[in-house]
Amino acid sequence: MQESMSFFTGFGLNDLWFLGEAALKTLWISVLSISIGTLLGTFFGWLLHEGKWVATFTIAPILDVFRSVPLIIQLVLFYNFAPIIGLNFDPFASGVVILTLYTAALVASVARGGIESVPPSMRRASRSLGMSYWQDLFHVVLPIGGRAVFPAWVGVVLGVMKDSALVSVLGYVELLKASQVLITRTQEPLLILAIAGAFYFALSYPISRYAHKFEQRWSK
Amino acid sequence: MKWPLTSFIAAASILVSTQASADTLDNVVDRGTLRCGVVLDFPPIGYRDANNQPAGFDVEYCQDLAKSLEVEAEIMPVTWSERLPVIATGRADVVFGATSDTLARARTVGFSIPYAVYFSQGVINADSGIESFEDIRGKRVAAALGTMPEQEWLKIAEQWDETHSYQSYQSENEVFLAVAQGKADIGLTTNTAVKAITEQYDSLDPGPRMPWTPDYTSIVGKRQDVTWLNYLNLFVTHQVRSGRYDELWSKYVGAEQSPELRIPGVLY
Amino acid sequence: MFDYNFHWRPVLKTLPDLIQAGLTTLEVASLSMLIGIVLGLCLALMRMNMTGPLKWFAVSWIELARNTPALFQLFFFGFGLGAIGINLTPYTIILTGLSFNCAGYLAENFRGGFQAVPDTQLKAARCLGMNAWQAYTRIVIPQVFRVVYHPITNQMVWAVLMSSLGMLIGFRELSGETQFFASRTFRIFEYFAVTAVLYYIIVKIVLAASRLLAMRLFRY
Repeated sequence: MQESMSFFTGFGLNDLWFLGEAALKTLWISVLSISIGTLLGTFFGWLLHEGKWVATFTIAPILDVFRSVPLIIQLVLFYNFAPIIGLNFDPFASGVVILTLYTAALVASVARGGIESVPPSMRRASRSLGMSYWQDLFHVVLPIGGRAVFPAWVGVVLGVMKDSALVSVLGYVELLKASQVLITRTQEPLLILAIAGAFYFALSYPISRYAHKFEQRWSK
Repeated sequence: MKWPLTSFIAAASILVSTQASADTLDNVVDRGTLRCGVVLDFPPIGYRDANNQPAGFDVEYCQDLAKSLEVEAEIMPVTWSERLPVIATGRADVVFGATSDTLARARTVGFSIPYAVYFSQGVINADSGIESFEDIRGKRVAAALGTMPEQEWLKIAEQWDETHSYQSYQSENEVFLAVAQGKADIGLTTNTAVKAITEQYDSLDPGPRMPWTPDYTSIVGKRQDVTWLNYLNLFVTHQVRSGRYDELWSKYVGAEQSPELRIPGVLY
Repeated sequence: MFDYNFHWRPVLKTLPDLIQAGLTTLEVASLSMLIGIVLGLCLALMRMNMTGPLKWFAVSWIELARNTPALFQLFFFGFGLGAIGINLTPYTIILTGLSFNCAGYLAENFRGGFQAVPDTQLKAARCLGMNAWQAYTRIVIPQVFRVVYHPITNQMVWAVLMSSLGMLIGFRELSGETQFFASRTFRIFEYFAVTAVLYYIIVKIVLAASRLLAMRLFRY
């Protein structure tokens, strides 16, 4: 009998490191899905704007599904569906796929709003100045429309970063899952939740302040 | 949601008709890794050590199995409710997770011969005043989602008309935490966990043993894959014959005699 | 690998229970929205009009609610508070957590709404002989509600989607019930696919109801 064997150990400094590492994982999965999702979503938004009738009956309902079903259900569904069709996705990959599509669905409507916020007269003016369609899109619509919907986009970014906590349900050890692991081992929920909360706050708050400043400067 | 579903089903049914016949044993040897689902919130059978690495009886069993196949073991932490779906969907090759071999589960997954035996026992809040099983009447009961104690308790609770006071948690550790904090009066778990848990918390005491039958638990593999299940059976007998079973049981559970794996009165 | 057989029968057999659980989801979401609106209004007024500890309290509530994941907040109200001896039932945890979260988000919407109503209106109302209470409830707040009606609808959809986190804290709303049934039959994919459809329907019903209500409320 090994009396000395312990299945629970107290909270130590290396656990703080463990949480820090997990916070980086949260950051990594968020950055990855947000960047791909934003590109994809902008493209979808452009499709929604340009291909009015076709898009309304094809991609619009699909994007709507991603906005109308809880993210946690999407994650569980995809994670359990992927192996059925022979895709061996680990929790991280499944998380990235769903978070990307989720971001894209949210960004699509933001992007569409951005394109539509540019007055048609301005676009006609740029075309009559001899700009091609793409020049107009990248040099006129992108800077002006992008500025108009920047706050909405930041909202999406912050939302997705916080929602990435749900990937913990699949067993990916990001910040929230790491804190659960530590609570299991150390049985100190309040302390560990407080630290995890501080990490989330530290990731999210500066971005929202920064965006707010930006917004104020532009509105001047 | 309509269109993905129908097309998914269509895609899946096409794929079903053209399935390959390679079995798990071949796949594992060829891949060079054994994907083991292990429940890690079940000390001392599966838990995380001070470095947050998987450890415990089940983890070592998984590593032994991998060694016997001369492949790498890949430990996949799963929750109680996930441990069978990961087999059904082919995400894991094998699951060690103190899985009772119930007939209901056998409709979905395949079982090896028993590799460990547990009894259901409660851990009680020191203030709950529960001494015998009958005392549980009118108390708040907690267990982990998808476990055998949960299913057995709900049968009794239905007779007692007490299903409303039952609480279900994602993990066994949340059950213990809930009982220790006073959210529930008794948590249902297995005898092996009780000692470790009650030593950890001052507010928890060992509770009564549950009246249902001992829990014969098996290694889980794909139901259709009989050759793989045969291999797992052979593995279980080899663990006992080589003395590894006794060694690991006494290492993790304690000095008490490792339980007899044969079921008396019937050929298994 | 592709030898998964779909079993839909057990899911269809429990469909009535799932629909019942869907009503629980709606109930929790609506209740927490009601509490959230009242609290959010108070927080917005406190943040704009107060100084000292009251303002500080409102600001920290709003920022904490907006900058940490909803799931984290639920864990906090569950095991976090349990550690100091406050034990809430799963129903109260989800209700408190969602109300806390909604209040934080709605407070910012209300603040925007108040800023959209010009000061001069309040002054005009006072000049007409209304007292402060009358001026607020009859002139300012109706206009604020008009501005924030759309954000409130969005927040209601969010509340429905967020209540799905109940499954992680042992509450048997739609997701929790689904997970419970899935854990008995091990048919995760089938169950969650049906639940995704149910959520979609619930969200559509909420949006349709909101549109009908808007037609009645804001017709001139």
